Amino acid sequence: MSGGRQDKAIKPGRWVLLVLTTVLVYLLDKPMGSLPAIGRLLDPMNGCWANAEPVNEDFSAALKLAQVHKASVWLDERLVPHIRTETEHDAYFIQGYVHAGFRLWQMDLQARAAAGRVSEVVGEKAFKFDRKQRRKGMVFAAENSLSAMESDPATKAMMDAYTEGVNYYISKLSYRNLPLEYKLMGFKPEPWTNLKIALLLKYMADDLSGKVDDLGMTFLKGIMTSEQLDRLFPAKVQGSSPVIPAGTVFEKPSLIPKQVPDKNTLFPSFTPDDFGEVREDGKGSNNWVLSGAKTASGAAILCNDPHLGLNLPSLWYEVQLQAPGLNVYGASLPGTPGVVIGFNDSVSWGFTNNYRDVKDYYLIKPVDNDKTKYWFAGKQQNFSVRVEKIGIKGKPDFLDTISYTIHGPVMYDQNFGERDGMKKMLAMCWMAYRPTNELKAIYLLNKAHNYDQFVNAIMNFQCPAQNMAYADRQGNIALWGQGQFVNKWKDQGRFVMDGSDSATLWQELIPMRENPHVLNPAQGYVASANQNVTDSTYPYPDRGGFVELRAWRINQVLSGLSKASVDDMFALQNETYSYLAANMVPGLLKYCTSVQSKYLDGLRNWDYKLSAESETATFFQVWWSYFYGEVWYPLFGGHVPNNLMPLHERTMQLFLADVHPLKGVTVEGYYAAIVSKSYRMAVDSMVRSEKQGSTQWYKIKNTTVSHLAKLPAFSFDHLKVGGWGNTVNATKRDHGPSWRMVVQMGKEIEAYGVYPGGQSGNPGSKYYADFLQHWADGKYYRLLFLPDGEKQDDKKIRWKWSIN
Amino acid sequence: MRFLYSILMVGVLSAVAEYFLPWWSMAVVCFLVALFMKWSGGKSFVMGFCGVGMLWLILALLRDVANEHILSARMASLFHLPNSALFILVTVVIGGLVGGLAAWAGALLSPRSATA
Repeated sequence: MSGGRQDKAIKPGRWVLLVLTTVLVYLLDKPMGSLPAIGRLLDPMNGCWANAEPVNEDFSAALKLAQVHKASVWLDERLVPHIRTETEHDAYFIQGYVHAGFRLWQMDLQARAAAGRVSEVVGEKAFKFDRKQRRKGMVFAAENSLSAMESDPATKAMMDAYTEGVNYYISKLSYRNLPLEYKLMGFKPEPWTNLKIALLLKYMADDLSGKVDDLGMTFLKGIMTSEQLDRLFPAKVQGSSPVIPAGTVFEKPSLIPKQVPDKNTLFPSFTPDDFGEVREDGKGSNNWVLSGAKTASGAAILCNDPHLGLNLPSLWYEVQLQAPGLNVYGASLPGTPGVVIGFNDSVSWGFTNNYRDVKDYYLIKPVDNDKTKYWFAGKQQNFSVRVEKIGIKGKPDFLDTISYTIHGPVMYDQNFGERDGMKKMLAMCWMAYRPTNELKAIYLLNKAHNYDQFVNAIMNFQCPAQNMAYADRQGNIALWGQGQFVNKWKDQGRFVMDGSDSATLWQELIPMRENPHVLNPAQGYVASANQNVTDSTYPYPDRGGFVELRAWRINQVLSGLSKASVDDMFALQNETYSYLAANMVPGLLKYCTSVQSKYLDGLRNWDYKLSAESETATFFQVWWSYFYGEVWYPLFGGHVPNNLMPLHERTMQLFLADVHPLKGVTVEGYYAAIVSKSYRMAVDSMVRSEKQGSTQWYKIKNTTVSHLAKLPAFSFDHLKVGGWGNTVNATKRDHGPSWRMVVQMGKEIEAYGVYPGGQSGNPGSKYYADFLQHWADGKYYRLLFLPDGEKQDDKKIRWKWSIN
Repeated sequence: MRFLYSILMVGVLSAVAEYFLPWWSMAVVCFLVALFMKWSGGKSFVMGFCGVGMLWLILALLRDVANEHILSARMASLFHLPNSALFILVTVVIGGLVGGLAAWAGALLSPRSATA
């Protein structure tokens, strides 16, 4: 340490540590593989610690926003914003600002997912997903709708204001207050656009109208007679309790029913070698409305619980919007303006999915030796080509050239099939490709004051098709099987069609006012749960992927109710009674009179409820799944494309009637053998599971609410919830009631709701998942619907933003 | 005493720097402080480690307590650590290590301790 040669140059060796430290800092500032930049992330000033929101955070604020007039936002104890503004523009601007403030990363990621742009931020692992989104024409569809949405002044203004609000929020962000997931994944928010709004709406359309059995049906058509096919896949399941009550008189159709073209080449045929693609499980939902005649209060009640993917941050975000002519409360979709499902001071509405078929496949016949052309109506047509540029983090862009036909984009060809997917050239025709403006429906619904305005609003809702329930304070109830449909000939679109024949083309559209609907039905209630929409008297073909079990049960309960209260509605939304089990178990037990086991004893004394803690429920579910497999796998010779099999309800009916599925008559010993074999398999499976731990239903089912980035640390599993897809409380492993709402439309509106999540998207906030347990327990919150007014003093209000 | 002051100085200057600049600005602070102080390499390391480590510990603790460990528990689980405390420890050690090494590097290049 003593003096010496201070004036001389420092030895080169002394620089080594500086270099090493610099390298260390560089490495800690750089994401590696899936690891985030550790130094930047751990920094307590700006990193993840900055997202640790104090549990007693004061959300009050005084904001100066040049873009809006004077406005107030009251935040209630559940962090639901109640936005009051002087103009509609300001309401949507602030909604955008608030959505971004609490859910920015989620909006961003979901818009990227819709557009097939996830690889840009996570790298190659999302490439296949992105490519499928592009080939599906998601961006094409969104661009088409955007043009319609922007050519309508109302929706253009709505989107512009909303986007402006989101972007204003983004422009004020520094690294420190970025949502946690940006810090973990190492990317930044990009400016919001109206296209992203359109993309998110198409993302919902894809989620809800994506189910297509055309490929599987085409395969089965080759191995079965049409009589067998109709027995297994009837257009209307026998005994269906349709959405629009049977006997409702439909207006005379304005269009002439289409005759089936007299040709036998309309449908190509496929062999097992032609396919792959795993069937996706359908999404369900329930909604129903009761007229005052059925309720204790004498006011109409509307109930809705759309069953969607269970994720965090939650799909829904509660909000109230107040502006001149507007006072609406409900579930909004972060990334889009307005309230999707909810109520205002006059009317309430709810949606369930309407599975009427709006997506078909066409086999494309390319011209030999000319990749740019295909055959249509005897002539060579040029493909129109769209080049999709897929950005991949850490890799060069991938360019995918997608050919568009008169029907739609070529989804599958020799360049793109799923793992063992379709190898033939198939184009997809989908209502969502059309320039539709669903946002206009949302805009008008939010402001509707009576039934006529409700109907006018939903005439803009073309895709995805929805069953729209309605109740108002005058006591009216209604339900519409809404969407834009094609006047098809019988079986058009049931199978893959020959895309070179003009007879298979989608033709005229059915006027939307002729969609099936009912206003104030004599029975005093109307319910939809994804079942058949109409009885056989509806004049247009309306085949689709409907299911019946929940609807049977809901109708059974509602028809027996009188003087119904909101508590009865809560009970029904949370009911785990299995209509399937109640019908199947007595039938199965008939074959087991000589067998003794604790499992059978359990079934003999069972209430048919798939309760969370029931072990008998687990046994039934296991037995049923083996039974179902043993009925269909042998008959279908193993692998059926899309894993297409007849409905559970149809399987149940054939079994109870003792009818052989293919032969159509009773075959001695046929079901006895299946029952006995599947019983042994189920017992073996239970014994194995018991060795590994509890076989309580919820433990086996493992309902999980996953973080959108699939991070288990930010997710919740093994939620103690009963039910399954075929019970009214349709909570499955990762799908379930995503927003439960009950609204009694009395003099004072009494509304209740809950969703499996929380208002904040921040995993470091106490509001991230604070509704989850409440939801799992089947409880509800009384929703705070503020009256129109500049001063608010409700005791549930906790914070206020004063704007300007 | 003077040594304690320099630790404190590292902490305060790092806090100011990090408030306005990226996280690694604290490394620059440590380097510069060590460059102008005449502590040995070892002492400088301790100064940087303790200065930044303490700053990060205090900041993390303040946030963690106010947050009732919601975030730290989830982050710990994300990194497969058994509890929040360990996540705080990892935070402090990483911050301290960078600060310490930067200070040491500064000491080595300090004209006054060039032959240390």
